Amino acid sequence: MKAKLIHAGVLFCGWLLCFTPLLRAASPSVSSIEPQGAQRGAETDITFTGERLQDAKGVLFYGKGVEVTGFEVVDDKHAKAKLKIAPDSPLGENQLRVWTATGISELHMFYIDPYPEVTEVEPNDDPAHAQPISLNVTVSGTITNEDVDCFSVEAKKGQRITAEVEGIRLGITLFDPWLGILKKDGSMLASCDDSSLLLQDPIVSIIAPEDGTYIIQLRDSTYAGSDKCKYRLHVGTFPQPSVVYPPGGPAGEELTLHFLGDVSGPIEKKITIPALENGVSKTMSLFAEQDGFSAPAGNPVRVSPFPNVLEVKPNNDIAHATKTDLPLPLAFNGIIAEKGDTGFFRFKAKKNETYDFRVYARALRSPIDSVLSIYDGQGKQLASNDDSGGPDSYLRFKIPADGEYCLSVTDQIKRGGPEFTYRVEVTPVQPELVLSMPQPVKDSQERETVVVPRGNRYGTVLRAKRSDFDGPLAVASNDLPPGMSMQVVTLPGNPDTIPVVFEATADAAVAGKTSQITLAPVDTAKKAPGRFEHIVELVTGDNNVYYQTSVDKLAVAVAQEAPFKLHIVEPKVPMVQNGSMDLKVAVERANGFTGPVEISMLYNPPGVSSQNSVKIPEGQNEGSIPLNAAGDAQPSKWQIAVIGSGDAGKGAVWVSSSIAQLEVSQPFVTAKIERGYVEQGQSATVTCKLTQNKPFQGNAKIQLLNLPNKVTAQDMEITSTDQEVQFPITADKGSSTTQRKDLFCLLTIIQDGEPIVHNIAQGGMLRVAKAVDKK
Amino acid sequence: MKTSQKWVAFGMMALLCNVAVWRLTADNQPLPTLLDVYPPDIKLQSSRASQALVVCVTDPDGITHDVSNSAKISTDPKLAKIDGHIISPVSDGTGSVKVEFNGMTASVPLETKDATVNPPVSFKLDVMPVFMRSGCNTGACHGSARGKDGFHLSLFGYDPDGDYFRLTRELSGRRLNLALPAESLLLQKATGSVAHTGGKRFDKDSDLYKTLLHWIEAGAPSDSDGIPSPTALDILPKQILLEGENTTQQMTVRAHYSDGSVRDVTPLTVFLSNNDSTAKVSPAGLVTSGQRGEAFVMARFATFTVGAEAVVIPKDLQFQFPAVHEVNYIDKAIDDKLRRLRIAPSAICSDEEFLRRVYIDTIGLLPTVAEHDSFMTSTDTGKRAKLVDELLARPEFVDLWVMKMSELLEIRSSTENNTVSYKAALLYFDWLKERLSNNVPINEVVRQIVSASGGTFVNPPANFYAEETDSLKLAENCAQSFLGIRVQCAQCHNHPFDQWTMSDYRGFVGFFTQIGRKKAEDPRETIVYNNGEGESKHPVTDQPVRPHFLGGIAPDVAGKDRRQVLADWLASPDNPWFSKHFANIIWAQFFGRGIIEPVDDVRVSNPPANSELIDELGQKLVEYQYDFKKLIRDICTSNTYQLSSITNETNEADTRNFSHSSIRRLRAEVMLDCISEVTGTRDKFRGLPLGARAVQIADGHESSYFLKTFGRASRDTVCTCEVAMDPNLSQALHLLNGDTVQRKIVNGALVKKMVDQQKTDPQILDDLYVRCFGRKPTDEERKNLEPLLASNLASENAKPPSESPAAMPTASAQPSPDPQLQASNNTDERQKHLEDLLWALLNSKEFMFNH
Repeated sequence: MKAKLIHAGVLFCGWLLCFTPLLRAASPSVSSIEPQGAQRGAETDITFTGERLQDAKGVLFYGKGVEVTGFEVVDDKHAKAKLKIAPDSPLGENQLRVWTATGISELHMFYIDPYPEVTEVEPNDDPAHAQPISLNVTVSGTITNEDVDCFSVEAKKGQRITAEVEGIRLGITLFDPWLGILKKDGSMLASCDDSSLLLQDPIVSIIAPEDGTYIIQLRDSTYAGSDKCKYRLHVGTFPQPSVVYPPGGPAGEELTLHFLGDVSGPIEKKITIPALENGVSKTMSLFAEQDGFSAPAGNPVRVSPFPNVLEVKPNNDIAHATKTDLPLPLAFNGIIAEKGDTGFFRFKAKKNETYDFRVYARALRSPIDSVLSIYDGQGKQLASNDDSGGPDSYLRFKIPADGEYCLSVTDQIKRGGPEFTYRVEVTPVQPELVLSMPQPVKDSQERETVVVPRGNRYGTVLRAKRSDFDGPLAVASNDLPPGMSMQVVTLPGNPDTIPVVFEATADAAVAGKTSQITLAPVDTAKKAPGRFEHIVELVTGDNNVYYQTSVDKLAVAVAQEAPFKLHIVEPKVPMVQNGSMDLKVAVERANGFTGPVEISMLYNPPGVSSQNSVKIPEGQNEGSIPLNAAGDAQPSKWQIAVIGSGDAGKGAVWVSSSIAQLEVSQPFVTAKIERGYVEQGQSATVTCKLTQNKPFQGNAKIQLLNLPNKVTAQDMEITSTDQEVQFPITADKGSSTTQRKDLFCLLTIIQDGEPIVHNIAQGGMLRVAKAVDKK
Repeated sequence: MKTSQKWVAFGMMALLCNVAVWRLTADNQPLPTLLDVYPPDIKLQSSRASQALVVCVTDPDGITHDVSNSAKISTDPKLAKIDGHIISPVSDGTGSVKVEFNGMTASVPLETKDATVNPPVSFKLDVMPVFMRSGCNTGACHGSARGKDGFHLSLFGYDPDGDYFRLTRELSGRRLNLALPAESLLLQKATGSVAHTGGKRFDKDSDLYKTLLHWIEAGAPSDSDGIPSPTALDILPKQILLEGENTTQQMTVRAHYSDGSVRDVTPLTVFLSNNDSTAKVSPAGLVTSGQRGEAFVMARFATFTVGAEAVVIPKDLQFQFPAVHEVNYIDKAIDDKLRRLRIAPSAICSDEEFLRRVYIDTIGLLPTVAEHDSFMTSTDTGKRAKLVDELLARPEFVDLWVMKMSELLEIRSSTENNTVSYKAALLYFDWLKERLSNNVPINEVVRQIVSASGGTFVNPPANFYAEETDSLKLAENCAQSFLGIRVQCAQCHNHPFDQWTMSDYRGFVGFFTQIGRKKAEDPRETIVYNNGEGESKHPVTDQPVRPHFLGGIAPDVAGKDRRQVLADWLASPDNPWFSKHFANIIWAQFFGRGIIEPVDDVRVSNPPANSELIDELGQKLVEYQYDFKKLIRDICTSNTYQLSSITNETNEADTRNFSHSSIRRLRAEVMLDCISEVTGTRDKFRGLPLGARAVQIADGHESSYFLKTFGRASRDTVCTCEVAMDPNLSQALHLLNGDTVQRKIVNGALVKKMVDQQKTDPQILDDLYVRCFGRKPTDEERKNLEPLLASNLASENAKPPSESPAAMPTASAQPSPDPQLQASNNTDERQKHLEDLLWALLNSKEFMFNH
């Protein structure tokens, strides 16, 4: 694909000289950001490196607290921004994109840290050449192939030294860092490869055994590395707990939390759990703090509108289950403190009420691999679950009778430990709606934003996931840039995926922003919380996703004009099941743009397939996309759109047509070919019985196809009243003796001047036999 | 001990005592001639029962004679009758059978029961053995998966019920004719009276024929429930030593049944010899000696195969075993066997030979010049043992064994379905290295592997279950890697050359049927756990088979992780195979072949070269609490290890009794490491620092052209055969023409450094020889090389290295014919020609082989 684009670029060189005003850039690409984070409260300069940045306009941050105070294009490969990080900016991950007059870049991670930044200086490959750094800093550096980076710090006896690194979490590449803390003589005090809190990113911590120099060593866990393996290493006296207990609490209430897993022991903190906006539970991040030093990574904690039940140990068998008289919904919280431990809870429930029992453990970065079981009051097991789309367990359970019930949580491989926290939220069934964007190009961020050229359109596909909800949904946005609109979209009950086309007026100002997209029931009487969640896969490989992030807004931009527009020539006739159609598409070219345009269907209705990509050659203004409908394609009027790309000299520019309608209907005629027989060198007839389903005008052409080699059939015509058609066939002397079982007919009905093509009568049989000697 | 009464008490005792006889012979003690009678007791149950006696005389020098036909055998005629040497019952009772020969006497207890009862012919006990004995149910005949000529029998009789069905029901009235039994196709085909692809299998007057006929005459009944089943098989005598060609010895085979009865099954036994040219065995079990050598005579009956050792020596051989000093139990066991074989061991090797040999075998490196000089100048008489201790303490020793264990454990990344990521393989390797570095007992390491659960990153031995997910394969791998047993055959039929039945196989598989696996959060990691579900089913009965260890014990697995139960058994000192298997693997490292060879093919029909030794090594490993360093110390300090590779006329043909050191090509990794060491170059492998050694490569799938050519194992299977040790043409060509050797000579600049240091030619020669061969050049080599170097230095057009001869320098270096040529003063030329010499040394056989 890359080669193809370059080739196209070369072809155009000659044209560009004459039509320079047409030189239009495509969406930019940012390959790296330096640095990929900043200290809270600081002002900093960051540099973007990439392609097609000459018309860059600014930076879009998804998170709060970052103000872009300056932006400057250096050249087509570099741009700079000046950032002001608010002193109260949330710590941890943020995400950004760069937008230009012609598009939006990929999403990149950006971290807000509590500590000032220093830069790694090579050579620092062994303890003897460790780079001295102060405590409580963030080192930004790179692990090249088989590289080892060493840093030395001075610490006093009893002082905590913690090192924690953003490696894979920078979302650049599959970088799996390993961290060690060594004495000056090279002896290892502690090391860590992966951590339950930060996945591939390690956390290592010691209490300094004596005054002196300590070495922090960082490498890839398999001694790999590359220029892409960038890191932000935090070294300091800060705590870095791995979990919080209880792992959640009721909104608005004061709660004492225990941060567990820090080398210095549990850290207690009293906090008021924030209120919930819409009454729906959510996960928030809390950063442990001690002696004024904050952990660089937060711990996820649940906020719920219902009360907590905390386990009272011992509760490791049903007889000692922690009992509550509170009514459901509730959150049961406990710790699988030792190997083989199980936590039991006893609660009351009423007949015929259905509850979701959802374990929050790994979701909150607890190491436990939960197994959840539900029992009746006597201890008879009624339901059990190990995994449900991840290591955390989930059960939907209908209460069979009024009374007491128990639940238990244990680790699947009977592990346990002080950090094996869990929380089981037991809630009534609640509808939930999530709108997402299916990845247009696998293992790539290509076209995951909406860039609409002025006076043009751009389409994307959105998918709605309904949980415990039936009925049509409406997708909308009320904060698109001025001049940009979204064709009002409703999702019927089925399917879940629809094409959405955005349009920008010809006079809309070039703009970029992150917009809120809403999903709600069309019937406003129905209550179902909906949200937009776009998962961005950042590190992928071997059919796996190693690191991804999610954002709740859609990045949209109004871009400069595109050199062409697309229009679907809306078909006047339906497409039939088992039929085909050539969908005509017109290209409206801007003056001077004659280049080829690649078009494809934005979305195929269920049962309809289309050619992946059709090229409208240079200078031509029309093309068609071959469509096929399967026998079970659902008869309906479907919304379709066509997207296309053309290169005006600086990469592909994408636009779409507006929404058009494609009707899929049942076939007008169905048929069955009767078994046929012909001898070599002879003629015969093949009869095809017709079933007329729907009347049509005039004569329709019918052809018998897939005949054996050197057997020919005469094309025939039928009318809407014919019950059969007889094809005269001739077998050449040289035809081979065979039995064919896959003959079919091609029926073409012309309506309103357009063909309705049917493939009917599949599976017809014809035997070609040796000529019988009549003598 | 010297009374013949005692000798005949137990066959096994007799065997052990015979060993003692030879030992005494070595000390020139006068010894009696012994009379042995087999079996050591006679039990006859039913009127059809009989027992053929085998009477043996053992000379003071250990030679055995079969005197069954000439010994006088007598008993109480009211109790039993004697026909030649065959005893059959007359009435019920107990007594004894007396045997006399040349004035020696022996007595064997006799017990008769149901002497007048003629029990019905049993299908399983009587008829099925006929099919085995006559070869009907072999793979080439009706035992083939599709049968033969329309008639199928289960291979080696693994499914008697199925065979009964096929005989009696499949073609009703045809195979068996109950009205006219003698007209049954079964009998007509077997006797060749109608056309039979397999030809005539037995005569009409044979017992085999009569058994089948009587069974058909009785209506071809099936067996009632609860009939006894065979539980063990003996072949006697267990050891014979025949003198001269065409000497014979009759074997006798006895089956033991679950009801405690015994039966002489010699006529129903299939006899085989693994070496017909030394000892041929007739279908009736008569062994006939041939050429000098060793053979293993096997008997197969029901699901059992058992064997006896036969040694043949030339007639009137004049042989005196040399006076040898035996350092430890290893030497004793080896010498005992060699005495029996009339083989004299080679002399003890020189210090230089020992030094190079023990370095390569122990740490996979050559001694440096300094190490060589220090060892050679030491006058300490215990310096060899001290050196062994030093080497065992070196980290390179651990590296070598981590590599070898990694082969058993298939440590490699697997891109297929992304099952084992490179990281997982690396962590597994590191885990193993850490265990071996800390001297964790080998049984404990295996216990941790077999019982491993959890994530393959968090608990790397769990990779054992990520690399292989098929429970059958896992059982096979476990048996082969940790016990040396290949049970694969028994997946589909009872093992024809070993004791394993399909039930044994499925019972062992039962330990691996409850393994759950799932992807961890990091997609490269797999979580292994006990899912508590799944059984191993017997393919014939389709019934679950209770998990049982090889050998039959079915442990309590209820509610337990079966792999933990298995791991505890594997690693237990009571396990009859584990310690011997690892002892054998260790042995093979130091001798180039195992006492059982291949090391991972322990089976009845592949007997150890020295069963006493392997038993003792296994016992020692247990005694040493599986610390294999201690066993290696025993091995390396033994005289057996320190024998020269130069043979004498008695041991030149010996390849399996360790009478001399074997000449072994260096294995791929060691070869590359040695070339790098000699040339002073450093290699770079993935994930390892520059200068790391090839033995340290973690991933079996990491390789280089050199390593592949020299046969590095890719670790795709557990088979030790993956390590190719045979020299071949592409290896020679790669050394000669490939870039490895030449590049390393140039890059290492070893010669240049020496030249720069103003070393003289003789000094450089000495240095290069010590580096490559662990010795200085001989006077002859020195004499041959000096003028050659001089002539080459004078030559304007020195031959490029690739055209130089590849043979050992002693063979290739000839004095220049032209005395007028003078040594050039050109330093570059001198360096070039010395480099050519180094190239020649590296291409010599002496370098490539450990000797």
